[in-house]
Amino acid sequence: MLSRSSACRGAARSVCQKAVRPAQRRGLAAPASGSFLYQNGEAKGVKFASRDLAGPTATLALVSKAGSRYQPLPGLSEALAFYAFRNTEKRSTLRIIRESELLGSELKAFHTRENLVLEAKFLRDDLPYFVELLAEVASKSKFEHHTYNEEVLPLIHFAHQRFLADPKDMAINSAHALAFHKGLGNATASSSTIPYTQYLNPSVIEGFSKTAFAKPNVAVVANGADQAELQRWVGEFFDTLPAQPLEEMSVASEQSKYHGGEERIAHARGNAMVIAFPGSSSATGKFYKPEIAVLGSLLGGDSAIKWSPGFTILGNTKASPSTKVHTTSSMYSDAGLLYTTITGEARNVAATAQAVVDAIKKIAGGEISKEQIHKARAAAKFKELEYGQQIEAGLELTGAGLIHGSKPYQIDEVAKAIDGVSEEAIKNAAKSLLETRASVSAVGDLWVLPYAEDLGLKV
Amino acid sequence: MSAPSFAPAILKRQWLSKWFAPFAKWYVNAAGYRQLGLRADDILSEENDVVQLALKRLPAKEAYDRSYRLRRAFQCSVSHQLLPKEEWTKDEEDTPYLQSIVEQIEAEMKEREDLEAMIVTKRAAHKAEGH
Repeated sequence: MLSRSSACRGAARSVCQKAVRPAQRRGLAAPASGSFLYQNGEAKGVKFASRDLAGPTATLALVSKAGSRYQPLPGLSEALAFYAFRNTEKRSTLRIIRESELLGSELKAFHTRENLVLEAKFLRDDLPYFVELLAEVASKSKFEHHTYNEEVLPLIHFAHQRFLADPKDMAINSAHALAFHKGLGNATASSSTIPYTQYLNPSVIEGFSKTAFAKPNVAVVANGADQAELQRWVGEFFDTLPAQPLEEMSVASEQSKYHGGEERIAHARGNAMVIAFPGSSSATGKFYKPEIAVLGSLLGGDSAIKWSPGFTILGNTKASPSTKVHTTSSMYSDAGLLYTTITGEARNVAATAQAVVDAIKKIAGGEISKEQIHKARAAAKFKELEYGQQIEAGLELTGAGLIHGSKPYQIDEVAKAIDGVSEEAIKNAAKSLLETRASVSAVGDLWVLPYAEDLGLKV
Repeated sequence: MSAPSFAPAILKRQWLSKWFAPFAKWYVNAAGYRQLGLRADDILSEENDVVQLALKRLPAKEAYDRSYRLRRAFQCSVSHQLLPKEEWTKDEEDTPYLQSIVEQIEAEMKEREDLEAMIVTKRAAHKAEGH
């Protein structure tokens, strides 16, 4: 006998199954339209790229060449990011937020050293709405005084305070300033109140937005959107962007030059030391050196495995387990910085800084086993692939690649380049690090933290 | 805060506004604030959140001028005097510098109320799919 309740449950389940099917447009094994590669194009002068990944959600980003590197006045890029998704000529801040909440989406605006990114994550069907929204934010934002005073200024102030309270952030910014002076060396947050008390006001920010969101300076990148559909909507909505920038970003567009030097900042909150060397540009740039990425993962510091110091040289030679060491290869469009960040107790930081220099000397002398280099190559490749596969990082890299050289970031090529790095190349790269001037920044207890010269570095 | 007023309705009809103009002029002069150098928006009731926020949004110069006019008017009031006739507020100076901001804030608040009271319905496309 069939009871009533069980019959009903079966009916409900069959309805559910029917409901799920349209969301999964493709089976798991079937490839999406192509692969992880981006397809790029241009609609009414606006560059765009998309990859049609299977899945019910999509991510759309407007990447603009307006990071802190390109700002004509301090703090502009940050302020413009905080102004995103506020009152526009068509909609108020509140309406934008409520509408995007109703559609179940996520809006984000942030800036890095080179790019300003407006990002939206949403359900696939809502693509036209969000293309329109991003175009509206980029071209029709109202830069009202009261919005600045009531909403934007407090955020800039918080970012400033957070920056001051973080020795690591200060050290990284200081190392960039030493390495590149202006341009890439510009701080990503205000290091004093001067930028926003003396340089910024809504009309200046509005002027910068006319440059930042001009057609040659932006790229639209989408994940999980159909190429033809994206082309159609970008052509329709992004035509409102200014065709030419208000003023050319002449100074910042010059080739970045590496300088190097040493800076020491007293700080009571903690100790951080950054030892930086000239690195590699991004894969879409002209000075791409895959051996720098491998060298970075060979120095390392982080462990990929729990409860173990890992295989990296610095992971094994750091002064104490509580000392945090991390080697990063920051890649920008035309230059890069390979830097090791050390944080922890002052004495341990000092000892670990010495270990960094010793490690580089060891690599340059060829005292590293083949096995370790193999591990480092594999780790670098994995890191790069994993990073590129993350939707967010991929979006920004692709957008930047499009703006600078009309070339999207293709992970497959990068992986191939890393695979081809030879032992000799790594040795030579390490040698060249010791010959160039380093950028060394020490923040914290200056009585204990060593000078670059004492470590055996040229500054 | 903006009070209910017939003014917009009257201004819309030219014949009516022409008819009302002399009376309005007489009324504004009889109200006496112009003789103290004030503007109509200076005597807007400010003991509420909307006007307080509007005052915060005034440009620095406007805010300074406003407080100057108010102080001067207080001074005149306590000394039981009117300003010399050439310092009285002229017709063209009596502009609604605060009213427009107040209206903007009221529109913002109304939008918020409207959005709070919104009834959400499913889109037809999603209804058919069952989610």
